[in-house]
Amino acid sequence: MSDLKPISFTLNGESKEFLVSPDEMLVKLLRRSGYTGTKEGCDEGTCGACTVILDGRAICSCITHAFQAHGRSVETIEGVGSFEQPHPVQQALVDEGAVQCGYCTPGMIMAAKAMLEENPRPTDDEIREHMDGNLCRCTGYEKIWTAIRKVIGADGKVPNA
Amino acid sequence: MKIVDFRIPADVKEARSILKDLGPQGAPLAGGTSLGFLPGREPKVAVDITRLELSGISRENGTFRIGATTRIADLQKHSAEGWVLDGVAKRLASQQIRNMSTLGGNIARVFPWADFPVVLMALDAVMAVSGDVERRIPAAEYFASQPTRFFGNGELLTAVLVKAIGPGQGFGYRKETRAAMGFSLTTVAAFIELTGNAIAGARIAIGAGVPFPARVAGVEKALIGKVGSAEVFREAATQLAGLKFKGSAGLSDEYTAHLAQVLVADALADAWAQAKGAKR
Repeated sequence: MSDLKPISFTLNGESKEFLVSPDEMLVKLLRRSGYTGTKEGCDEGTCGACTVILDGRAICSCITHAFQAHGRSVETIEGVGSFEQPHPVQQALVDEGAVQCGYCTPGMIMAAKAMLEENPRPTDDEIREHMDGNLCRCTGYEKIWTAIRKVIGADGKVPNA
Repeated sequence: MKIVDFRIPADVKEARSILKDLGPQGAPLAGGTSLGFLPGREPKVAVDITRLELSGISRENGTFRIGATTRIADLQKHSAEGWVLDGVAKRLASQQIRNMSTLGGNIARVFPWADFPVVLMALDAVMAVSGDVERRIPAAEYFASQPTRFFGNGELLTAVLVKAIGPGQGFGYRKETRAAMGFSLTTVAAFIELTGNAIAGARIAIGAGVPFPARVAGVEKALIGKVGSAEVFREAATQLAGLKFKGSAGLSDEYTAHLAQVLVADALADAWAQAKGAKR
């Protein structure tokens, strides 16, 4: 067992300190620290369920070591919207019924939020590129796609779906 | 890889000194997305090299200088006259991986499916390695075998220099995967330059499905002096026939060999179109 070492990073806008094992993945740290909105799926960077935003970019927290976040800024689903005031992506997913089992949803929201903050008017190709790391095994993507397009003010039609 | 400790240096000098002290126990870590593929249970100390000011893309006299820890996503989003790496970057894995993975990480240790080694061979890139003296290593030498041999004594890959594609030159890139974000089953990059209407120079490289990414001299030679056409490219691609291909994930060796020929011809067609002035 490796010794625990201190790290610190900004989590949802608050400075936090953690003791981590050098081989501990960010998703494990978040979940054992109570941030269970970030889901563990494939554990190998394929499904996107564990997506969080690290310094403005969507990343897989299952293949990112906790220490790689040291000194950086991490956003998780807990920092996005509230029941009273959902984030526009959250509201659009609700409006479109784009959630079935919900396991992929936090990751989808974080990936879409990072995309829209960098590029508020993505083209269809850009949406495809940016959302290609989030798998959903329930919805067939169409409703998720429609929701994201509604957020940017485009119609919900799915081109070449 | 078993990580038992980590260090977070603030500049190249500190990183090199830490790596020198750690010796074989030190493991430079950029995005870290390939760590899961590294076998070995011997304890390693990860040295996070992403905070050394080695990220970013600049251009000087027709050459792009790409910092070694530039994220693949930044190659994807960069746009400039003569820049072709965006098209390669956006086919690599998923956005989350492109947001973490770095160009240096893709080429400091070559995995069999890696895409950038073939691209940088075709573009005749030059790798800058910081050691007691800075070395400039051309792609042909750098990728002749596993590049980890260059990083023994605290040396660090610091930048990749890639010439912009100019008039009369063209670049093509094709890869085949099982699913969109999958690993390459075969990955091909082609660069050609024309004199008048004929091909005067060509660099074609192929990776995945072969033991180690490499240039394919037979194909390159078959193109010299030719005017491009689908038939010429198909014919040149048959020069791959002497190579030994290995299938994977349900693909036979024979099919992989066939696939490689198709991809080489397609990449050449793209390179030809660009050299003839088509917009990418």
